[in-house]
Amino acid sequence: MSTGRKLVWVGLAVLAVLVLAVALWPSSGTPTVRARTRSLASELRCVDCEGLSVAESSTASARQTRRDIEARIRRGQSDQDIRQVYVDRFGESILLKPSSSGIGVIVWALPVIVLVVGAGGLVLALRRWGRQPRLVATDADEALVAQARAREGSEPDA
Amino acid sequence: MKQHPFRWIALAVGIAVAAFAVVLAVNVSTDPRADSNSSRLLGKAAPPFSFTDLAGKKVTSADLVGKTVILNFWNSWCAPCRDELPALQRWYSTHRDDTDVVLIGVPRDDTSGAIRAAARQDKMDWAVANDHGAEAATLDYATRGQPETFAISPNGVVIAAQIGPVNVSTLDKMAAYGRRAA
Repeated sequence: MSTGRKLVWVGLAVLAVLVLAVALWPSSGTPTVRARTRSLASELRCVDCEGLSVAESSTASARQTRRDIEARIRRGQSDQDIRQVYVDRFGESILLKPSSSGIGVIVWALPVIVLVVGAGGLVLALRRWGRQPRLVATDADEALVAQARAREGSEPDA
Repeated sequence: MKQHPFRWIALAVGIAVAAFAVVLAVNVSTDPRADSNSSRLLGKAAPPFSFTDLAGKKVTSADLVGKTVILNFWNSWCAPCRDELPALQRWYSTHRDDTDVVLIGVPRDDTSGAIRAAARQDKMDWAVANDHGAEAATLDYATRGQPETFAISPNGVVIAAQIGPVNVSTLDKMAAYGRRAA
């Protein structure tokens, strides 16, 4: 592989790592009660409305849920404890995002597995294509082409 | 014969996609919100409640230990609540003097004025909560709408739950379950 191509690959790898790092890096500092309340409320389904989270809804039950979440945070409950309270009350369907345990883990894991396998396949394909010798026209090939073009040029247009 | 690695990769991806499809099919074949049709509180300790009713009287779960409590979540603007109102009125008219069973109306997502007006107009003579205690109970009992009705045994366990309008027969059964559990 030429140095230029190697540099391109290294550059792409660095870019991918940077993008992942920015996307996955946890935000610095301890989140405020308000931020935690909003984050948890955005994970819970509004029971009165279709397709809205508790954070987005203005129904009485959503308002009450937000107050309850905030009170629980102030009492020192962890995010996971609060999620579990709501799952125990309403069932898994209260969560807008599937849980990362039990059957829900498939939803999270499978796209990653498919991505990794797909990337592996792509790497193999690129390596295979890279190993194939580049076709170069020989003098005999060029002579054949020249002959063919000369023949076409001498024939009258239909 | 040499197997090409692409065949294995394609096979692996195919198996993964097929497995995903099976899991999805199994889960989608059941209503993902099926748990909204029943209460998860059944058989569990009833969440405590504390209300002030329209007459200004304090009503707490602690004070009602030893009685069967029927909590009816409703509001003034819900049509199914109006549908079940005659059943509640008929049931209450024959049980208002019972000392072992109590009916409490718990408004859900409504204003104090509308609750008071509806209770007066519809002759809801049973206790009707009219403060923030109702909002707390709405959440504690994991209600998803209205009407919803819960029966609490004399020893404080949720023994029955009805999502949707009740009829006299259902209310009688709730009271009977409570007496049996006493």
